[in-house]
Amino acid sequence: MALELPEAVYSPQLLEMVIYELDLYNKWYQQSKVKAKVGVKSDLAEPNHSQETLLVIKAWQEAESSKNGSLEDLLAYLRQLKLPVIHVSLAALPNSTQRLQLVRWFQQLSSPRPLVIFSADRTLGGGVIVRTPNHIYDWSFRQKLEEARGHLGKVISNA
Amino acid sequence: MSLETISFAVILLILIIGMASLWFMLQKANKKLVVQAQEPVIPTITAPTVAELELKLKTAYEAEIAKSTTIFAADLTGTSTRLSEQVSRLTTQVIEEELGAYKSTLEELRKVAGGTMDQIRASVETQRVELRKNMEAEVALERERLIAKFQVKMGDIVAGYISESLGGGIDIGSQMSYIVASLEAHKEDIKKDLTNGA
Repeated sequence: MALELPEAVYSPQLLEMVIYELDLYNKWYQQSKVKAKVGVKSDLAEPNHSQETLLVIKAWQEAESSKNGSLEDLLAYLRQLKLPVIHVSLAALPNSTQRLQLVRWFQQLSSPRPLVIFSADRTLGGGVIVRTPNHIYDWSFRQKLEEARGHLGKVISNA
Repeated sequence: MSLETISFAVILLILIIGMASLWFMLQKANKKLVVQAQEPVIPTITAPTVAELELKLKTAYEAEIAKSTTIFAADLTGTSTRLSEQVSRLTTQVIEEELGAYKSTLEELRKVAGGTMDQIRASVETQRVELRKNMEAEVALERERLIAKFQVKMGDIVAGYISESLGGGIDIGSQMSYIVASLEAHKEDIKKDLTNGA
């Protein structure tokens, strides 16, 4: 069962939200089904879905391997997903365009697509810190300055 | 007897007679003079002559006095001038001698004072050099200490500096090209991490 998450669901938090909404919907659906079977009119309103959840459902329905799969199967699939997570730290949080650009860059690296967590640390000054499951890549301005520690010491000494 | 002898005898006789008459005349004049010398002659002078003589004497006397006065005044002036010159010369000489002595004393004092001043100056210079050396050593030590401290706390300092200097003006958009370039430069490493870490 190979389902590629839509690029809009790029972070663990978004995936959790999708699972939560799907679970909520599944419960509502099960209750409504039981009530309909016993002839009781359901008074529960259908839960709303977010855009990301709809995209996941759509992707699930289009996936060749998930034909005739139930919502519970989708939920089970999503819950068992062990996707690599990449932490991206920037000096400030990126806007949606920048976020999408970075997400796309990371998602094209591997399949299944990795999840990306963005965080902001203004002391970086600029650049980026990328933490993969095995490495931390620090291309921040702060790191650049610290790498020049000896040089900075010399400059101060000369001054 | 010849004529010539007779003539000679006649002339000789005449000469003897002439000399005898001269001798008698001289005797007579001599006797007269002796008599005149034995009897003093008292001249008699008239009153006008006396007055004239007095007037002449007075005039001559006054002229002589005036002449003497003039000479005396000239002498006095000359003497005074010479005295002044002498006094001036003596005064100048004395002053010069005193000044010379004063200069000599002053020069000696200056030499003594100069020597003392040189010693003081040398002492001050030595202290200044030593003080400067100590201060430079202290400043260098303090600078090294600060640099060491700076390097130890480099991370905090840099972070604080960046945070303070950037304030709220961080533009990720302008950094995107650098960020993407950094990612692209390590694309294979990241891909490998994702594959191995999945």
